[in-house]
Amino acid sequence: MTKKYFRMTLNERVQHLNLAINFTILVITGFALSFPEAFWVSPITEVPAGMTMRGFLHRLCGVATVFLGGYHILYCTFTKRGRGIIKDMIPGLQDAKDLLETLKNNFFINRPAKELKMPRFNFREKLEYFGLIWGTIVMAVTGFILWFEVEWLRYFPQWTFNLARTIHFYEAILATLTIIVWHFYSVIFNPDIYPMNWAWITGYLTEHEMKEEHGLELERIKAQERGEVKELREPAAVGREKAYVSPREVRKKGFSLRRLFGSVQDFNESLKNWKGI
Amino acid sequence: MRRRDRGSKTWVVLLGVVLLFFFVALNTGAAWSDNSFCLNCHQDESLKKEDPRGRSISLFVSEAGFKNSVHGELSCSDCHTKVKDDAHAEGGKKAADKKVDCGVCHEKAAMEYRKGLHSKMIMKGTERAAYCNDCHGKHNIFPSKNLKSMTHISNIDKTCNRCHSDIEFVKQHALGAAIPGEEFKRSVHGKTGEVTCTSCHGSHSLGSLIDPKSSIFRSNIPQTCGACHPEITEQFIVSIHGVLAARGRTDSPTCTTCHGIHGIKAKVDPDSPVNERRIALTTCPQCHAAERISKEYKLTTTPVKSYYDSFHGLSYRGGDTYSANCASCHGVHDILPSSDPKSMIHKDNLQKTCGNCHPGASANFAKGKMHTVASIAGDEMGDMIVGWVKVIYIILIVTVIGGLTFFNFTDWLRKTIDRRH
Repeated sequence: MTKKYFRMTLNERVQHLNLAINFTILVITGFALSFPEAFWVSPITEVPAGMTMRGFLHRLCGVATVFLGGYHILYCTFTKRGRGIIKDMIPGLQDAKDLLETLKNNFFINRPAKELKMPRFNFREKLEYFGLIWGTIVMAVTGFILWFEVEWLRYFPQWTFNLARTIHFYEAILATLTIIVWHFYSVIFNPDIYPMNWAWITGYLTEHEMKEEHGLELERIKAQERGEVKELREPAAVGREKAYVSPREVRKKGFSLRRLFGSVQDFNESLKNWKGI
Repeated sequence: MRRRDRGSKTWVVLLGVVLLFFFVALNTGAAWSDNSFCLNCHQDESLKKEDPRGRSISLFVSEAGFKNSVHGELSCSDCHTKVKDDAHAEGGKKAADKKVDCGVCHEKAAMEYRKGLHSKMIMKGTERAAYCNDCHGKHNIFPSKNLKSMTHISNIDKTCNRCHSDIEFVKQHALGAAIPGEEFKRSVHGKTGEVTCTSCHGSHSLGSLIDPKSSIFRSNIPQTCGACHPEITEQFIVSIHGVLAARGRTDSPTCTTCHGIHGIKAKVDPDSPVNERRIALTTCPQCHAAERISKEYKLTTTPVKSYYDSFHGLSYRGGDTYSANCASCHGVHDILPSSDPKSMIHKDNLQKTCGNCHPGASANFAKGKMHTVASIAGDEMGDMIVGWVKVIYIILIVTVIGGLTFFNFTDWLRKTIDRRH
């Protein structure tokens, strides 16, 4: 029995599932409007008021996705794990190097292929994560313009509305294809992963998957298990420094990023220790 | 009281006397005696003659049928005026009698008939063109109020369709492929039972499609339909379509262009061309997406194309009936060009028009050109920007998705090859 490595908490899995369902419904109900005569749209167009329900469902899922995004922001701000995700998600030089080495491997420049040791979130995942954020913002903004066209057109000329339509449509194509091409390769069709990366259901990765995709993280976990690395109290990242918040600093007047981060951490701590009224 | 009783008795006696005279007059009248003379031979059901083309024609006359008809009191010779002597049938050949001329008595109808298409066709020598007896019958004529009459409102379609729904007849006379009878039976007019062929075509004086005096001549159609739908005709004749049609523009629509001809259906019928599901798919585009017409009238087919790509059009194509179709913004019978201040799409009225569905639509909402197709070669800055964004996005999608696909493909290939070792 190979050891399993914890990857996604239940909360994260629910977030992922929520996004997956909303995204799928959005894709179907959205492209059903763009291609109303396509064969797969007939279940929508052939029921009475199908198109009306389609629009309602699309907006509902859009709102749900926006709320999910909002929740994710809160999650990444107010939980230690969430902040850890953000910290590990920041792209760096190492990711560029990993990408380059992968390319060299794939073009058979590196023979034999170099074993890459990638961090908790490898460049594939970082790219996808930032793509997702970008896409959600673009789709939400243009979507709300299309939804509240009366309000929008009170202040902006008509062509901006057409622009929003155009962007909403093409960004949807881009997002859908990215999920199919990039995400589905990462978690399904990648020969190291196939038939599927089960973390989205079970929450765990196999050691093989960890080794192939997150070698650096695997080493870190193992070192931690051996007691070589100790987990410190969460530092506030400011520039290149690691700043540890002291109560004295919190009392300082004026605004600083360090102080803000410290306040958030403190707030989080007091929430965690909250025993009720 | 007594006086009144005696008075009423007097009336009864008087009435009896009058009736007696009447019946005596009937029974002793020359007509009856003459008819019996004719009927001696013509009562025979097997009595036949041969016409010049060699076809056998029955000469049987039903006595009872004739007596019940509206002409039952007339003498045979009142109509068959050319039958001069008893010898007309000698040798089994008809010698003198020609067609009966109904116009001797029915002067007005005959005059109208002579203006009509059927009489013209007879003069041209068309064999099956309708003569009086073809629609009214011969010896069994009833007044048209009578249910048994061939020209009673409930029977007219049968009478006309004996020829006009006969495929052979329609072919021979080049009346087009339409079989009006079948179409009409299923139409909203046919179902009422109150409208029939003659309501639109007229009766004795009915004319052809190319006769400018005919009720079905192109530019007369709005008036013909207006007999029952006056408000709509009033709206239509001042609309751009009505004005152009009245000027003789054959490609400008009249009622029938959109509603159909014999098979007109109610608006709610999904088969109706003016059903809300079909207006923007077939009815308006039949002209406004046609190259020839749009070229002639300096229009473009862009409005139809751009509508199909707009939210309204896309949702409509998917079956959404709340979504605007052509008529929602342009009107129905009262369509006017945008330059007309009364037009729904005149710039001063647009805010109200849009506001029908978009409550609270501002003045700015209705500004800007409709029916535009974004293009980098557009006339307006906004169109060009949208056109450029489109181009950029397409390039972006092709490069990004192409790149990702290629990257993944190489990754898959390398890993698959490595696994073989």
